[in-house]
Amino acid sequence: MNSLAGISHGVQSPAPTIADRSIDDAGKPAAKILIRNLNFYYGDNKALKSINVPLYERKVTAFIGPSGCGKSTLLRILNRIYSLYPHQRAEGDVLLDGANILDPGQDLNLLRARIGMVFQKPTPFPMSIYENIAFGVRLFEKLSRAEIDERVQSALRRAAIWDEVKDKLQANGLSLSGGQQQRLCIARTVALRPEVILLDEPCSALDPISTAKIEELIDELKDDYTIAIVTHNMQQAARVSDYTAFMYLGELVEFDTTSKMFTSPGDRRTQDYITGRFG
Amino acid sequence: MAMMMEHTIKAFDADLQDLARMIAEMGGLAERQIGDALDALNRHDAVLARGIVAADARIDALQREIEEKAILTIARRQPMAVDLRDIVSALRVSNDLERIGDLAKNIAKRVEVVENELKLQKVMRGVEHMTELVLTQIKDVLDAFARRDVGKAVQVWRGDEEVDAVNNSLFRELLTYMMEDPRNISVCIHLLFCAKNIERMGDHATNIAETIYYKVEGHALTDERPKGDTTSTTNIPYRDER
Repeated sequence: MNSLAGISHGVQSPAPTIADRSIDDAGKPAAKILIRNLNFYYGDNKALKSINVPLYERKVTAFIGPSGCGKSTLLRILNRIYSLYPHQRAEGDVLLDGANILDPGQDLNLLRARIGMVFQKPTPFPMSIYENIAFGVRLFEKLSRAEIDERVQSALRRAAIWDEVKDKLQANGLSLSGGQQQRLCIARTVALRPEVILLDEPCSALDPISTAKIEELIDELKDDYTIAIVTHNMQQAARVSDYTAFMYLGELVEFDTTSKMFTSPGDRRTQDYITGRFG
Repeated sequence: MAMMMEHTIKAFDADLQDLARMIAEMGGLAERQIGDALDALNRHDAVLARGIVAADARIDALQREIEEKAILTIARRQPMAVDLRDIVSALRVSNDLERIGDLAKNIAKRVEVVENELKLQKVMRGVEHMTELVLTQIKDVLDAFARRDVGKAVQVWRGDEEVDAVNNSLFRELLTYMMEDPRNISVCIHLLFCAKNIERMGDHATNIAETIYYKVEGHALTDERPKGDTTSTTNIPYRDER
């Protein structure tokens, strides 16, 4: 029984008003990223339909929804990862500090330094822990050895993994546990001093202790970064995010403060999904 | 009322149904205790009164069972949205019903010392009328709880004013009897407490109505409730006419 199928999707437009209500609730945070009328196509298949949603500055926004709803697709647009693949196409505006990152003239390397991404499975480079961090830093900045040392250490500290690796910085990154590898990847992202961090199911391959460490880390990182997280774990979305967006069949069904979304969501489909009455 | 769709995990539905069933059982017991307390008071029936005091233990036990079940369900199912509100509501309502049970028990304890004297018949009728009003309120609110009927809950919420009005007039009447003859004081004080207990039961019914509103609507009922209890500020000056 699929309860959500066949229900008309009238709630979404005009979506900016959905966002506006939350701005009022939370005392008007600024939107670091503003997504407007965003459509996305895999070839002829329209995967995202006219999405409107803000990512507020120094806030955590969680994207939830069943598999195939488009939440990972949305995240992949935000740093233009999709541009690596043929036949994938985005329409609309994704405004980062007011400038549209979908513009053909956008420098993708610069963009990906400003908007870092961490994936579901940890992806450390097959090199030393130290080099995992230093490699990316050297690509973007000319720094002295001492400055790079400093940057590596501060990134590892920021990602709450310094104490565990400080005595084996030359060990291979792949020798770490899954949870440590994921924090190493977060350190690698943080080392480039991005403004936005995208997390695509960062804890789905981790045990509860490692998950708790990542969540604690997210809580600390949001003091400095705007964070978007895609997660299948509803409790995780409730724990770590300030705002939550529920997506279904390529549409944004509801966006609101997390406290509202998980105690009294406005849309019946959101409620059915988060209470486990879905499908 | 719209029927709620089932959870993918059926055992979660069973947990919520268990809670609802226990609340219904507790509500039924509380109603019976109130009716019995009034009968015992009316008939000066000490045996019935002792039965009421003993039966309160079952209500207390149910409250503990609901609390355990609710906590376990929160731990196991990590409920969200309407489910979370359902469980929190069950906890709140069970507290209100437990208090209602205690108040009925307190009336029962007074039965032996309240002589049903002829001149107090009018007061007794007042107490009876008030009890009937409150019993209707409690029946209605429990029905609204089971059916998620916000309209009916709000009706109960507003209906408490009438209970207050009867309580006010009883209060004045009892004060007058006490002034007339100090020998009335003991009985009148006990009846005053009985009336106050019944009035408190009415307040718990309005608490439950507020809980229903929250459970269904997802936010608190913030209107100012019409309140009519003036007993705290009532003063009848004593005139010595001897």
